[in-house]
This record gives sequence, structure tokens and C-alpha cells, in this order.
Amino acid sequence: MYKSYTLSTILLFLLTLFIASCDKDYGNLNNPTVDSYYNNANKSQLNNLVTGTESAMRNSLGFYLDDIGIIGREIYRFSNSDPRYYTDLLGANDAQLQSTGFYIVNVWASRYRVIKNCNLLIESANKSNLISDSERKAYVGFAKTIKAYQLLLVLNLTNKNGIRIDVSNPDQLGPIVGYDEALSKIADLLDEASNDLVSAQISFPLSSGFSGFNDAAGLIKFNKAIAARVAVYQNNWDKALTYLNSSFFNLNGNFNSGVFNVFATGSGDQLNPAFFPQNSAGEARAAHPSFSKDIDSNDDRISKATLRTTPISNSGLTSDRDVWVYKNNTAAIPIIRNEELILIYAEANIQKSIFSGAVTAINIIRNGHRLANYSGAMTQSALIDEMLLQRRYSLFSEGHRWLDVRRYNLLNTLPIDRANDDVWSSFPLPSTE
Amino acid sequence: MKQKVYKFIFLLIMLLPFCINAQQKTIDGKVTIENNIPILGAIVHVKNTNNISTTDGEGMFKIDAPNEGIIEISFTGYISQSIPVTSISSPLMIQLKEDIARLDEVVISGLSTNIKRRNLANAVATISAKQLSGIAPAQTFDAAINGKIPGAYINASTGAPGGGVSVKLRGVTSIFGNTQPLYVVDGVFMDNSSTSGGLNAVTSASSGGNSSNQDNPSNRIADLRAEDIANIEILKGASASAIYGSKAAAGVIIITTKRGNKDKTNISVSQDLGFVKVRKLLGTRPLTRDIVLSQRGWDVNEYDAAVASGKVYDYEKEIYGETGITRNTQLSLNGGNSTTSFYFSAGTKKEEGIIKRTGYSNSSFRLNVDHKVSENIKIGLSTNYINSSADRGLSGNDNAGITLGIALSSTPSFTELHPDSKGNYPRNNYASSNPIETRDKMENNESVNRYLTGINAEAILQKSQRSLTKLIGRGGFDFYNLQTKALFPGSLQFQQINRGTSIQGNTNNLNTNYIFSMVNNYSPTNKLLLITSAGITQETGRYNNLLNVATQVIEGQSNVDQAGALTSTQFRTRNTDNGIFAQEEVSINEALNLTAGVRFDKSSNNGDFSKYYAYPKAGLSWNLTKMSFWKMDFFDNVKLRSAYGQAGNFPAFGSKFTSLSISNIDGLPGSVVSTQRGESGIKPERQTELEFGLDLGFLKGRAGLEITIYNKKVFDFLLQDRVSASSGFTTQWINAGDLQNKGSEIGLNAIPVATQNFKWNTSINFWKNRSKVTKLTTGPVQLGSLAGVLLGTFQLEEGKSATQIIGLTDEVVNGPPIKVWGDQEPDFQMSNYNEFVFKNKLSLRVLIHWKKGGENVVFTNLQSDFGGTSPDWDADANGNKIPDGLDRIMLIGRSAVNSVKSSSYLRFREIGMYYTFDKMKVKYLKSIQVGVSLNNYITITKYPSYDPEVSNFGAGFSSGLDVLPYPASKRAAFHLIANF
Repeated sequence: MYKSYTLSTILLFLLTLFIASCDKDYGNLNNPTVDSYYNNANKSQLNNLVTGTESAMRNSLGFYLDDIGIIGREIYRFSNSDPRYYTDLLGANDAQLQSTGFYIVNVWASRYRVIKNCNLLIESANKSNLISDSERKAYVGFAKTIKAYQLLLVLNLTNKNGIRIDVSNPDQLGPIVGYDEALSKIADLLDEASNDLVSAQISFPLSSGFSGFNDAAGLIKFNKAIAARVAVYQNNWDKALTYLNSSFFNLNGNFNSGVFNVFATGSGDQLNPAFFPQNSAGEARAAHPSFSKDIDSNDDRISKATLRTTPISNSGLTSDRDVWVYKNNTAAIPIIRNEELILIYAEANIQKSIFSGAVTAINIIRNGHRLANYSGAMTQSALIDEMLLQRRYSLFSEGHRWLDVRRYNLLNTLPIDRANDDVWSSFPLPSTE
Repeated sequence: MKQKVYKFIFLLIMLLPFCINAQQKTIDGKVTIENNIPILGAIVHVKNTNNISTTDGEGMFKIDAPNEGIIEISFTGYISQSIPVTSISSPLMIQLKEDIARLDEVVISGLSTNIKRRNLANAVATISAKQLSGIAPAQTFDAAINGKIPGAYINASTGAPGGGVSVKLRGVTSIFGNTQPLYVVDGVFMDNSSTSGGLNAVTSASSGGNSSNQDNPSNRIADLRAEDIANIEILKGASASAIYGSKAAAGVIIITTKRGNKDKTNISVSQDLGFVKVRKLLGTRPLTRDIVLSQRGWDVNEYDAAVASGKVYDYEKEIYGETGITRNTQLSLNGGNSTTSFYFSAGTKKEEGIIKRTGYSNSSFRLNVDHKVSENIKIGLSTNYINSSADRGLSGNDNAGITLGIALSSTPSFTELHPDSKGNYPRNNYASSNPIETRDKMENNESVNRYLTGINAEAILQKSQRSLTKLIGRGGFDFYNLQTKALFPGSLQFQQINRGTSIQGNTNNLNTNYIFSMVNNYSPTNKLLLITSAGITQETGRYNNLLNVATQVIEGQSNVDQAGALTSTQFRTRNTDNGIFAQEEVSINEALNLTAGVRFDKSSNNGDFSKYYAYPKAGLSWNLTKMSFWKMDFFDNVKLRSAYGQAGNFPAFGSKFTSLSISNIDGLPGSVVSTQRGESGIKPERQTELEFGLDLGFLKGRAGLEITIYNKKVFDFLLQDRVSASSGFTTQWINAGDLQNKGSEIGLNAIPVATQNFKWNTSINFWKNRSKVTKLTTGPVQLGSLAGVLLGTFQLEEGKSATQIIGLTDEVVNGPPIKVWGDQEPDFQMSNYNEFVFKNKLSLRVLIHWKKGGENVVFTNLQSDFGGTSPDWDADANGNKIPDGLDRIMLIGRSAVNSVKSSSYLRFREIGMYYTFDKMKVKYLKSIQVGVSLNNYITITKYPSYDPEVSNFGAGFSSGLDVLPYPASKRAAFHLIANF
């Protein structure tokens, strides 16, 4: 009796000792942790970050294109499940853009997530002893270029409300800087990146979206193209032309050469979020009626908005044309392509009053879309109108029109569909900022 | 720490007196209840010993007892009696009286100790087998407890077959941590998680910024078969549940299953047959040619043609209006002898849903065996195998416009959705999907294979007249495999992009737990009883979920390899939690009861995985009627009680890491920083609860009143705080603040009438809770809703109710643009249970549940306004000459008045009538019981959507969201029970 009792007591006591001494930490079972990258990351880890960066650039891209397309009155986004496409974005009645709306929160967060990844890539490349200096410069140059591009996309939405540039320390985020300062910081970052890339040796793979641009020289050309776009936004026309010359700009080249977000059905990959089949009901992207109203009857860009079998309506909006820019779920979405560069060339020349150069470029675009040469007035304002018109149709649904009319203070010329609708000029910063 | 335990055990040894041998006497007798009806299974127990006997079918028993011992006779639901052996003359004839105030009910007081309610310091609610499944059975176990627990707020995340129920005890326990109670079944911690079937791949429900689970999966406690349950005890807050430590913050529901008796075998067969129907349909808009013309996008030619050919349909009724047939069969065997007893049951149920091709089935085997190895050693084994399968349809929120509800909301009655003669379904011109086609072709199944085994061993290490020491080991495992299968063939309207989607999930979950404890009962004098217990516990969990989403699936195939593209995700969690506990209970003269205990817990989920957190508790109850000064005869029981305790809530697995997610492109593997920032110093939430109560028994035991007030405070509650997204992160786990819940619970049990031929038994419960955020380290946080203030959202704000709902307003007096529109918390809830028994044969049982107040965020009706299909679209209730449908649409963006709605209701939750035939002509048949029952059949409410008890965003914090749910159903059944 006593024996068994004493025995059990000892057993219980030993058990207590045993469990008290065995501490369990299972680590993270599901994925790598950030800490592991700071600790002398190897090349394949860094390459994973490059790919992750490139891949994540596509997150919320559909929302970004919808934001610019809807406010710029290029498209309607029909949806039975979210009224905010008709209310907030079009400013129906008293509706405002909300600082908690998915249209800004998701896009903002997705872009800064890529920026975070770029910062992690820069930091871990700088801390790694397992790569050469020229390899390091390649990682850093790539990361800075993408970072600058992502910052530009956010700034495009928030406009005068500004963005944060310095976000490397999550506990001490840098200040929110205004539009002009942000643009100049982005331009500087692009310059830094291209300096890094000059002596870089690329040892990471890129997707087919970068085909033709996946070496150091190619990445510099991509970097300069983005820099040219930034220079245009800064109204710095000389700089725009300089950048154009070191980019892949080619007046007589293929409109569609450039760098793209690509999509595929592979595991962990993404499908084109801006694609909807033609004649979709319920959820659909349809062209704003003004698209077909304003287009020249010969213009082949009408094929970007195909006629529906039946019109689609909701909340007082109706359209009979689908957006048909992305024709399947793996169609690429341009980051920047030659057609835009040709139009940047035209714009810079107009602004510098070199009308002949501008008209040459405009005619290349017009002829490329089955239109006769430009025959309008050879004045700056007439040419600006023409350039904006060509940009509207050439870059339809690629995220430009709203920005273009805003740059030229023409937001009030955009068509209003319902009496109390508004045309917004900037998105509010997310409420969490 | 270790030293403390050592000291404690040493103390324990010192307390043990010597063994004393005593002279034995054999006593036999008979136990009856009113009208001299003998009872089977009454427990005859020699106090402070392990010597127990039970009565047979004639109420007879026989037991050996020492001369100086005390015999105690008890039976569930009756007041027990104690008789000193010296005063007994054999045979002993005992008549037990019904225990209306349930004073003699034995309830849990610690991990391995029990106490009679008479002496309990807490308000522990209990549900008996009869109340659980003997009135009008619900489909699943968790739905069956609704309206039966004072202090609980219960909602259904979906009306789909297979359940999905959220149980919240005493208000807001946690915002982002676990809000659901811990379920312990025969000592085994039973997993109650909900695993998403991955439907987001087609619905994109959470792509718009809300991360909560919107697939409405069932929660796994639903697997348990209610018919096997003997008793449920509910520890509602930390004051009672502290001894379960860091898992007990949301309360603990302790389930005891039926066990064998020590007599000849009883066989019972029961068969239910019934049907389910939708509780309510919303109706559709009556159309005229003018209405069709005025609704933009509607094709008036199509309307004319449909009217001409008589092809105008009520699609809502067609989809939700099915009558599902239900059946449930249970066979149970129950018997044993003085050393071994068993309970075996086999059950199977199959139910159809109110939507075609949905349904639920559950088959279960249970074997519970108790064996006495020797006088001093007892072993009990509980095993359960469950197989369940639920076809759940496609409902709820989505951002792709494809669920049945969303598609219906914009589909006018004149369009043709039915297949042609060749079986081709027309495309729905008014929505992204053809709901008839979706219903007929898609599949969404959850199937579970589950094993639970619990073992309970008790050994008496030492016994004497004054002292008894037991070693108790209890533990077990709960393993299940869950297969989810969602199939959307490529021919579906919304599968034009993905051309066929097959989502196959496989989840394995293993929970294990054990408790080793020593319990010593010591009574130095007859007036003093000391119960000392101490021990160790361990709980482990392993969860592994593998989800494959295949698209471009070959027509007619569902295997994920028969597809053009495949995306897989895997999610694992693992934890080990260790605890050490000690508890002392002192009972002085059965009048004053004091309890003090402490539990120390550590967990691998904590930021500091080796740190022990302490959870103390203490309780005091004082039974005035046992005091010599008490002279009032009107009351037979007056007890004052107070209890205090602490409990915790672990952080979620992985919340301490900043990880990288997979993000590939073009066949290259990529890593991208997760949107959730880890917090390496994350701490568990801590809850303290202080409870006071007054228990009264009066009218000679015919009535009992229990009044409880509590103050439950939660410190360091976990918040997945939204951080500045420019950091690259969108959320971060933080210990964000404190909140409190104050509430009261009042229960009255009575037998107003008791005559030879008629008995009326009634109980009334009232409960209410008020929560308040007392500290918030961040600014106000909006969380867990559909479209923010546009439709109404929860907002955590210091000094305000934790569940307030704010939304846009255009009322100038309220200072636009935002005001508080309501609160998810009800003003109060009441339930009333009545049992009327006629001539001991016919019994009518009715459970009524009233919820007063409390608001839901309802999007269902507005969705129909948008789609132009709401039945009152063209009404003009406010007389402004504008159709109400348009009025409501125009208010969106100005006011949330049409989406925050009161969810008050009065519900006849369960009605059952049973008749027992007990004088059978055939000898082997003891009795037959027949009955009819109605479950949730009658509801009186102004709630505009399908059902006020809705929570489409799952079982977390944000309950009460109503987004095109699978409509709730009502049930009717016929019952036949035969006892052999």
C-alpha cells in the first residue's frame, strides 16, 4: 500500500520535472522567416526574393487599373457584389472616396509590400558574403528600379496627398512627402539604380515579361524608360528626351516591345486580374460609352472595346462594349512599352515646340492604327489635344488616362454619367497611415 | 516552480493519516421515487470510500459498509440522502425527492474533483440528456444547446447542412483570439476548429480586404452525437474555468457521455423520421411591364415572351423551397455487472437540405467501458468513431457574383434559367452565374473520419476512516481526417476563365492531452472536510491542412491531376502546452466552502515559450440554512457565493514570426514578405472574473432561484492591428488593450403543480451582458465587416461597447457623417422551458427563447434592391412617391440605416410531445415511447432577412453579419423509441 503510494508520488514528481524541463519551440512550420535572410543569404535565397518581388508586382493590379479606368471614365466596372464601384469611385450622390476602401487600401498595401521586399533584397544582398560585388550591384540595382516604379504607381493614385518614400524601418516610417518631392525622389532612386546596374553582373532569372531586358544593359534600358515617364510627369522635357535615348525607345520599332507583367496558370502563379470574358453578365468591365463615341471611324483601336450581344447596366450606368484589351487570363499587362515611349517623345517635342518631331511621332501612332496623317492645326494646344487623344486610345485600360487629363488640368472635361457624380483628383491616404 | 510542487507533495504526504481497518456490515434495501416507482441506477455509496453499488430494475441494492460509516443514496435529479450505518435496519427503504433546485447535482470543481451544487461557489450551468436531445432534436449537437445556457450567445454561420455554430459565453472574450469555448468530452480535449474548404478560389470573398473566413465551414464539435451525451456542464468564465488555465478564457464545456449500469443489459432502439423546410423566404418582386421597362438593363421583350408563355418563375422558392427528408436511427446497449459495465451505441442519421443536392449524414459508434480491477483501482475507457459528410452548397458573401444568393438577387423572374431538352443550361443575362445550373452541377462536400479515445484511471493509494487518497490519470486523443471537396465543372457560366475548378483539401488533426493528479479527502472531524488536489497536465496539437486548387479541369473529372493548372497550399500548426496545478477545497460543517487553486501554464505558441503564466482562482460559498442561527422555514436553502479566477487565451500559432509567402511567376519560385508582421514578444490574453451569487430554495424544495452577477475583465487582448501599410505590412499582432463584461444571470426552477395525474415543471432563465473597451493602445479600430461605415461596421473604441456598430448617417442631429447605429450585444435574453406530464405517460415539452435587442449588419436585402428583385421594391411606405427600393439605394453612401437592423426575436425553439406505453403485452419489450417534435418552427421577429441568428463571417469576433446566407431551416420529426 505505502510502497505503491510512495512510488506514484516519486513518479508524479519525476514527470513534473520532466515536463517542466522540456521547452518546446517548433519554429515556423509553414514558411521561411525574414530573420533567415539577414543572416548571410545565399544566391538562391536572393533569387527567390527577386522572383517574389517580380511576382508581387501583380498583386492588386486589377484594382489599380480599375481605379484609373473608372475615375478616368475609360471603363465601368460592373459588379453585383460590391456597390463601391458605382458609388465611391464615381462619386455618386454624396459618396466619397473612403480611406478604408479596397480601391486604395489594397493597392497601397500591395505596392508597399513589393517595396518592403525590395528593401529586404537590398539589405540581405548587402549583408551577404556569398556573392561578388558585381552580383550585389545587380540585386541592388534591380531592387531600386522596381522600388521606384512601385512608388510611382502609388503616387499616381494619391497625387497631391503624397506618399512615404523612406519605409525601411517599420517602427520609424519616414514622413509623407508631397507630390513634387516624391517625384524627384523617385527620379533620384532610378538614377542610383542605373548607376548600380552599370557595373552589375546579373545572376538571377527573370520572367518572360523581361525577355530582351534580362541582362544589365536591358535592365538599364527599362530603368531609363520609367525615368522618362517620371520626367514627363515632372514637366522636365529635356530630361525626358535624354532618358528616352538611353531607353528602348524606337520610333520605328514595334509598339508592343517593352516590359510586361506576365501571367500563367502554374502553381503559386497568378492569372490576369483585368481579364473578363466577353459578354459577361454581373461581373464585367465595359468601355465607357464615350470610348466609341469619340473614336475615329477608321481607328483599329476600336477592337479594344468589342460590341456586346446585349448591353450591360447597373445603377444607372449602361454600356454596350466590353473592354477587350486583355484577351485571355494569361494575357500580359504592360509595365511600359514602346508605344508609350513614342508618345512621350511626341509630348516632349510639343512642349519644346519642336512640332515637326512631334508630328512625326504622332503620325507613326496614327498610321499604326489605320489613321491618316495628322491634319490639325500646328499649334501647341491643338497638338497637345491630339497627343492626349492618341494616348487615350493607345494606352486604353493600361492605367493612364486619368493621370493624363489630370496633368493637363482637364479633369472637368471628363463626361459625367449621373447628375451628382464627381470626378476625383486624388485618392485619400489609407486610414492606417 | 519545481520546488513549489515538491513542497506541496511533501505537505500532502504529511496530511495522510494511517490506515484503519474497520468492521463490515452488509446492507440491502430498495430505492424509490414518488408514487413508489422503483428506480434503476441509483447510486449507493459509502462516504469517503470507493465502495459504490447501484440499484437494479426493481430498485434493489446490496452493499458492504463499516459500522461507523455513512451511506449516501443519490440519483441524478433527486435530493440525495445520507444515513449513518449504525441507524440502519435492513432492509433499508428509501424514497428520494425530486431536486428542483438541483442542489445535489454533482458538478465539477477542479480538474479532478467534484462538488455538489449545494456547496458550489460558481454558477455552473448544466444541460441534461433530456433537455439536450429529448425535446426537439437539432441537426447537430452544437445547435442543440441554443437557448439552454444562460449567459450564452449562439449564432449560426450558415444554415447549410452540417452546422457551423458560434457559441459565446458571457460577452466578448477576445477580439482576434479564440472566442469559442473549450470542449472536453470525457476528459479528452475535442477540437472545434473550422477548416475552410478553399472556396475563396472561386468566390474571391475575401479579396476585397476582409481576411475573416467567409466559406462558412462547419465547426468540428458538430461531429459529436447528441444522443450519446448524458450531461453537459458549462464553465462560463474564468472564475469557474481557471483550473483549465490558458485555454479557458472563452469558457469550458464539459461533456460526459452515457455510461453503463451494473445490471442486466438494456437495449434501446430509437427511430426519428421528419422533414426540414426553410424558415422564411423573402419573396420576389411582383413585375409589371412598366416595372420591367423602368429597370435599366432588363429586356422587356424577354418579359413579354415569358408572360405570354407562362414562364415566369419564383426562383427563390425553387432553390430554397425544397422539403428535405430527415432520418435518425440509434441503437444503444447498456449493461454490466459489479466489476464491468458498458455502454455501446451505434447511430446513423441522414438529412436532406432545403436546397437540392445538399445534405448531411453522420454515423457514429461509441463504446464506453468501466472496469473495476480491484477494490482500489478503476479504469474507464471511452471510444468514439464518427463518420460525417455534409454537402453544403454555395452561399454567402462573394466578390465574383456566383453564390446562389448573389446570383438570385439580380435575376428577374421572367428570365429562363432551366435547362433545355438537351440538358443545356442557358446563360443568365442578369448575373455572373445561373443559380439553377450552379445548384445542379457544383459540389461542396466536407467529410470527416474521427476517432476519440479517452482513458480514465483511478487508484486509491490510501484510505482510512478520515482520509482517502487517490491517484487519477486521465487523458486521451482526438484524431480526425477532414476531406473537403469543391467541384465546379467547366461548363458552369462562371467557369469561363478557369474552365473547371476542383478544390481538394485534406486536413489531419491530432490533439492529445493528459492529466495526472493526486486527490486527498481528509476529514479531521465530522464537521470539516479538506480536499487537496495537485497534478500536471499536457496538451498537444498538430494540424496539417493541404489544399489543392486545380483549374482547367477535364470535363467530368475531379482529381486534381486531371487539370491544366494546379496550385497547392499547406498550412501546419503545432503546439505543446504544459501545466501544473494545485487546489485546496475546505468544507466546514457543509455550510462554509472555501476553494483556492492555481494553475501554471506555458505554451510553445507564446513569444517566450518557456515562461510559465500563473492562473489563480478562489471561491467561497456560505450556506445560511446550515447555520444554527437560521430560523426561516420558508427557505430550505439560502446560499451566498463568490468566486474569482483568471484564465488565458494563447496567441495564434505563428504570430511571433515575420514570414515570407510563396509568390511565383513564370515557373520561378519566389518569396515575398508576408503582410503580417510578427511580434516576438506576444503574450497570452489574460482574463479575470469575479462572480457573486445568491441561491435560494423555497416552497419545500419545489422552487429554486439562482442569481448571479459577474464582472469579467480581459487584459492585453490580442488585436491583429492594422499598421501603416507603407511599412510593407498590413497587420501586426499586438496586445492592444483591456475590456470588460458585466452581466447578470437569473434562473428560476419550479414545480408549480404536482398531482398524481399532472405535473408541471418549469424553468425561466434571464441573462444579459454589457461589454466595454476600457483601454485601447491604438486609435479606434474598425473591424470585421463588409464595406466599412457604408453598411455598418464594428468599431473598437476606448470607453465604448466592444461590439458597437457604427455607420454613415445623414441625420443632422447626430452630427454626420458617422453615428453608432447599434450593438451586436442583445439587451437581454430569456428562455423558458416547460414540461407538462399527464398521468406519467404523456409529456409536452416546450422551449421558448426570447432575444431582445442586438443588431446585425444585413446586406442580404440591399443586395436584392441593387438587383431590382426585392419584393417591396415598388412599395412606397414613406409616401414620397419614389419606390422604396430606389429610396434605399439612394441612401447608400449617406446612411447605413437600411443595413443595421435589430435582430430581436421570440422563438419557439423546441416543442416536443411524447407518450410512453409501458404495460407491454410482449414480455421482452419494456416500453415504447412515441413522439412528435418541432424545432425552430415558430419565430416572431421583424428581422428583414432570412434569420436573425446569423453570422456569415464565421465564429470569430464579427458575428451577426448577414450576407446572402444559406437560409436557416425549421424541422419537424416523428419519434419512436423502444426499450428492451
